Amino acid sequence: MLVFTRRRQEAIRIGDRIEVRVLRVGRDGVRIGITAPPDVPVHREEIYEEIRQANRAAVAPQVDLSALAERLRQP
Amino acid sequence: MRTAALPVSADQPPSTDDVREGLARNAISFPDGIPGFEACRRFVLLTSDALAPLQRIESIEGPPAAFLGIDPRLVLETYRCRLSDTDLRALAADGDATLLWFAIISEVDGVLYANLRAPIVINPQRMIGRQVLPDDGLYPIRHALTTKA
Repeated sequence: MLVFTRRRQEAIRIGDRIEVRVLRVGRDGVRIGITAPPDVPVHREEIYEEIRQANRAAVAPQVDLSALAERLRQP
Repeated sequence: MRTAALPVSADQPPSTDDVREGLARNAISFPDGIPGFEACRRFVLLTSDALAPLQRIESIEGPPAAFLGIDPRLVLETYRCRLSDTDLRALAADGDATLLWFAIISEVDGVLYANLRAPIVINPQRMIGRQVLPDDGLYPIRHALTTKA
């Protein structure tokens, strides 16, 4: 892993399209601003990971869905 | 609205060649894959009378993956989710495009849940799909559809 020390308002550039800037440093956290092109997805790691795990758990549920489908068809 | 993206019937298995041709013609491309299944870039939507209004979203490329999905508005009438410019661009959707929405269904200990937080959105005009991950997610990843038996 590449490690940098950055102060407030200092940034890191990744390639020519992505900038990561330290906006504020607090006691419990660091506020970071990311500038990236629209085709580069940027997510908080824990959210991405949560969705990832939910997706893996979702693959082909092994339960009878006809009852649920039936219920959903009711107005 | 839906018929555009409902190509293959799951009720009557057609011949292999028909399936292959049908799948290729009706493939929906997911340029970013789906979190956890990043290698799957092409999916098809399968519908059947028995499962309606649920639909299967099945990978036809890369590792096998099949999800069950439901329009989140059938789960929560008030469901609203704003797509970011990034999402709209990725889906090649202009303001007027009619998009298909699917909340992925999962099962934990016999209870079925719908993922309202990160729906799969498909632009049937362009056959492009994407799972959107809104940062300001107002809805849960696990919204219970059933109660424990």
